[in-house]
Amino acid sequence: MILVIGGAASGKRDYVRGLGYEESQFATGAIDNRPVVDRLQEIVAADKDAAEGLLEVLCAKEVVICDEVGSGVIPAERHEREVREATGRLCNQLAGHAEKVVRLVAGIPVVIKGGA
Amino acid sequence: MRVLFTGGSACGKSSYAERMASALPGPRYYLATMVGSNDEEFLRRIERHHAMRRDRGFDSIERPRSVSGIDLADDSCVLLECLCNLAANEMFDEDNRLDNGAFQRILDDIKVLEEKCAHLLVVTNDVGSGSALGYSDSTCAYVELLGSLNAALAERFDVVYELVCGIPLRVKGAPWEAEPQ
Repeated sequence: MILVIGGAASGKRDYVRGLGYEESQFATGAIDNRPVVDRLQEIVAADKDAAEGLLEVLCAKEVVICDEVGSGVIPAERHEREVREATGRLCNQLAGHAEKVVRLVAGIPVVIKGGA
Repeated sequence: MRVLFTGGSACGKSSYAERMASALPGPRYYLATMVGSNDEEFLRRIERHHAMRRDRGFDSIERPRSVSGIDLADDSCVLLECLCNLAANEMFDEDNRLDNGAFQRILDDIKVLEEKCAHLLVVTNDVGSGSALGYSDSTCAYVELLGSLNAALAERFDVVYELVCGIPLRVKGAPWEAEPQ
């Protein structure tokens, strides 16, 4: 599994398309039988308590795309803080299992785990 | 050695910093800067941090302000967690007015700490990324204060890491022996 992370609109989907994936292979905000899971942060936000249980099924995907949501001002609203925490912890675990972790910075892919 | 760890919330900073501190010799102190509370979320977070450093030989010191005033052995290793709480605690004076002296006072306090121990590890947070629009003046002042502190410490410290999804990215300094693999 390749984990692709970065800020909103940082070029994550374009990067994954560049790997050869078609639009029809992206499951956006959903987990089904398609090989690419996009917008993982929305899946976590929909049910933060179920986040940990997603690890295994996500590790079996080819690509998982998630926004880096932990930076910036810590939200005043508790639910938002908990969603950020759950997303971050899940991404830590996914990164631990991933063969490769790529972070998009202004559209530029920076490989932070798993070589070039 | 002076080491700074930055990154967003839940990026694995605390866990990585604690692993590094555990690899260092000397008495180990965990310098906690959170103001106490009975709030359930707070207690859960504290319990999580306690669990993480259990059996790792840390003595805990609770110090929400004025971190220079603690007694330490020369050969000790101090893990300060975290600069974000310290900045929030120091930025207002007793009358709840913005205290413009907070920036320099925190830097000076940390300088004193650096001189009192063998290794100082400081955990902070990247609150400056993400949109700063729509926040109150005091929140903007906080973002400014913490960002300036992060930059000033990064300049002075030997090694700086950004943690991303639990992965340490060394953004300043050379690899060193306590770096967990």
